[in-house]
Amino acid sequence: MKEKTDVLQGTLALMVLKTLDVLGPLHGYGIARRIEQISGDLLAVNQGTLYPVLLKLEQEGAIASEWGASENNRRARFYRLTREGRKQLQVETQDWEQTAAIIARFFDVKTEDLS
Amino acid sequence: MRSLRRFLSRLANLATRRAQDERLREEIEEHIALQTAENLRAGLSPVEARRQAMLKFGGVEAMKQDYRAERGLLLIENLLQDVRYAIRSLRRTPGLTAFVVITLALGIGMTSAPFSMVDALIFRPYPVPQPSDVVTLVSTTHDSSFDGFSYREYLDIRGKTESYGGVIANSDIRAVGFSAEPGATPRVKGGMMVSGNYFHVLGVEPQLGRGFREDEDQVPGRDAVVVLGPDFWKHEFASDPAVVGRTIRLNGTGFTVIGVAPETFPGMQIWWHPDFYMPLAMAGMFSTNPQKNFLEDRDDRELNVQARLKRSTTLQQARNELAVLAKNFEREYPKLNRNRSAAVRTDFEMRTRGDDGNWKFIVVFVVLLLAVLLVACTNVAGLLLSRARTRTREIAVRLALGAGRFRLIRLLLTESLILSCLGGLGGIAVGYGGIKFLSTFSIPSELPVTIPFRLDIRVLLASLALSVLSAFLCGLAPALQSTRADLVNGLKSTDVDVPGRKRLWGRNVLVVAQVSTSLMLLTASFLMARGFQHSLLEGIGFAKDHLLMASFDPRLVQYNAAQTQQFYKLLAERVRLVQGVQSAALMQNPPLALEGFDGVAFVPDGFQMPRDRENFNATMDTVDEGYFETMGIPILRGRGILASDTAEAPRVAVVNEQFAKHYWPGTDVLGKHIRLDNRAGTPVEIVGVAQTIKYRNPSERPMDFVYMPLAQHPIARMVLLLRSSGDPLQLVKSVKDVVRTLNPNLPMLRTRTYEDLYRYNAVEGPRIAIEMVGTMGAVGLLLAIAGLYGLVAYNVSRRTREIGIRIALGAASSDVLRLVMGKGLVLVGTGTVIGLAMGFAVEQLMNSMLFNAGGVDILAYVIVVPSLFLVTMLAAYVPARRASRIAPTQALRYE
Repeated sequence: MKEKTDVLQGTLALMVLKTLDVLGPLHGYGIARRIEQISGDLLAVNQGTLYPVLLKLEQEGAIASEWGASENNRRARFYRLTREGRKQLQVETQDWEQTAAIIARFFDVKTEDLS
Repeated sequence: MRSLRRFLSRLANLATRRAQDERLREEIEEHIALQTAENLRAGLSPVEARRQAMLKFGGVEAMKQDYRAERGLLLIENLLQDVRYAIRSLRRTPGLTAFVVITLALGIGMTSAPFSMVDALIFRPYPVPQPSDVVTLVSTTHDSSFDGFSYREYLDIRGKTESYGGVIANSDIRAVGFSAEPGATPRVKGGMMVSGNYFHVLGVEPQLGRGFREDEDQVPGRDAVVVLGPDFWKHEFASDPAVVGRTIRLNGTGFTVIGVAPETFPGMQIWWHPDFYMPLAMAGMFSTNPQKNFLEDRDDRELNVQARLKRSTTLQQARNELAVLAKNFEREYPKLNRNRSAAVRTDFEMRTRGDDGNWKFIVVFVVLLLAVLLVACTNVAGLLLSRARTRTREIAVRLALGAGRFRLIRLLLTESLILSCLGGLGGIAVGYGGIKFLSTFSIPSELPVTIPFRLDIRVLLASLALSVLSAFLCGLAPALQSTRADLVNGLKSTDVDVPGRKRLWGRNVLVVAQVSTSLMLLTASFLMARGFQHSLLEGIGFAKDHLLMASFDPRLVQYNAAQTQQFYKLLAERVRLVQGVQSAALMQNPPLALEGFDGVAFVPDGFQMPRDRENFNATMDTVDEGYFETMGIPILRGRGILASDTAEAPRVAVVNEQFAKHYWPGTDVLGKHIRLDNRAGTPVEIVGVAQTIKYRNPSERPMDFVYMPLAQHPIARMVLLLRSSGDPLQLVKSVKDVVRTLNPNLPMLRTRTYEDLYRYNAVEGPRIAIEMVGTMGAVGLLLAIAGLYGLVAYNVSRRTREIGIRIALGAASSDVLRLVMGKGLVLVGTGTVIGLAMGFAVEQLMNSMLFNAGGVDILAYVIVVPSLFLVTMLAAYVPARRASRIAPTQALRYE
């Protein structure tokens, strides 16, 4: 159970970074919407889990936040990618692709390939 | 890097918690508002739109918790919470809190003052850079493990060793005639002769001028230069920087001041700080052993040699190297160095040397003090325990609501930590007072003795460590016990006492520990007082009243050896003629003056020496013909020293009874000879046996002692003792007149009555020690009684309902009394037995270390045990009596 949360948190962080990279500064709801659109039901139930992840990223310095006005003209917290965050995104994208490739290859392996 | 950043911002968040909470609330609200708007656009009703939005957001509280965990440092946050809670709950019971804090303050404070003593005597490092590299080299024989080296030996060590970054030597010259101007009468100051590399090797930079150059201790008598000690500079020259370059007179010779040692370097010794430093090559000016040539004789071992160990060298390597060197000495100089070895000693080894009684006393003292602290801790533990018991319900509720046991223990420990920190603060105040008190004991001496006790950062740290330690000692047991509470029972009533051996066990141990520890303390202080009194009653073996004393050192006015002896001869002759003087005597050291006697190495004639040793050692004094009469020491056989024992006459000595019994048991010692130094040494005939007296302190064991006539064993610095018919102080003026006729410039030092000296050295010193131990015993006992009373009373009060039921069922109040008292009796009895065993152990320890009383002092136990028993019984009786009078109705309604 715990591990699952960890994985979720890790991937969620990466998704947040990518979203901000592509779309520029966004508020929490905007990020949640975007991730929902792309990932389907990952955030369908627990949009709230996004906020601890945002805080963690901010404390690590990957993103920064400031108050701004939302589309319905209320105060909202806007998050944007920092330079460090961009670097982190690059590194993690690479890592992720590598890992994914390796895992994919493992799944491709059939018994006869090993004999 | 990233995690560090995260940690730092988490730390920062501790302060801005509220603003952060607000921000999250706002963000959530905005998020839900936006989602609701979205849902409205999708065509839902307003209520449904908001409901869906909330559902989608998920559990707000769970998320908030995650968020908080992410944001802050849970551990610190919890700690702060605990602290706040603990302070609140302690403030609810101010009386108890105050009592606990005071108890701990006494316990910690009473320990921190003596710690400063232990620290000063044993642990405080030298006031130089890298103090732990500085080792002391000593010359050793069978009888002595801490001899010095001679100047020649020092030069050899310096030239032939490779383990050290530098080898230094110094020799205390405790009496130097100092005058700032040529014409002024010299005053006695204390100086130290040091090797030219002394300051350089120690790494001490003078605050003014320079230190010695290497070449300044090469040529005997050439470089009359002096470096002043910081305190001396402050007091004698009012910190005048122009002092460098000036000429001062030491023992009549002009010395140029070249520098002032820094404030941070008062000197390498604990008790004494030199006023100034002179080069070793100037030894001819100062009072070294007159029988030897300081710079030439290889057996004039007056130097304390120290060295700075190279970083790359181990202590063992240095030891091996020096041992080899000592072997070479023995081969090259078989006469002078037979059976003489050498050793490298660390700072710690030097300070805990076996022949120094100070630190042994301190060890005894510290053991007793820790006992006081232990009593204080058990006291507090008992109180906290009873406090925790009344909180059973609160704790049970917390456990039932899901608090972890560990978390609760942490909370309870936080409380005791706060208590003991407060206690530690109070303890520092008490300790400060204690150190002030210790420092008020000035030691009267011509040369000021420094009192090394002070409240410094080391002592503060020790007090702090003690507080934390006591927090755990006091808090852990109650915390463990109370969190083990049975939930069901805990929730049912405010005060449960499930009958179980386990729970009562802890409290009983506390009572037993207190009784036994305070019994031990009391025994110890009683023993000290008795041992001291005993030794006073035993007497010192001579008459101490009607004696006037004064010291002389003719070297202060540049007398040579012959002039010196002539001076003493005339002095003794003339003072005997003074009106009111019954008799007069010269001696090197009066007994019980606390100054070290010289030793004499000898071989008793006709005595089969053990194969591995060349000679024996005994302490000795140099005296003149008036000595035995003036001191009132009876001559048991033979004769005393006579005027006819001149330098030309055959050499003679008087020994004490102990010496005679030791070397010639059962035979007549008169006419026997001892040979000085070794079998081939000068023969000395024993012509008399004097009664054994007390030499070093009134509680010493009988020791061997030899008296030599002054004319045959000339000494420069002597003490004149006059027996007067009236008040000895009335003789001072006439004696001064006599001295003036001999030499108007020669100062009379330490003029006082002998009784004055005796009172100070032999009575006041030990009395202070006994008062300190007695105070400790009293405080310990007071704490123990308070704690005992509290515990027993608490036990009884907890059984109020039970007692009520018993009485309601027909128990007589005497039955109840017996029930409660019986319990107390068992505990007190057990404590007494253990305390007796501990007291006995302490007595053995003290007997072996401090007193010669020997055997078991029954009276101490006869008095201590019943009085403690009585007190503890009283502590049990009062609450028991109250319990037996409880009206059953009241008791049953109690809850």
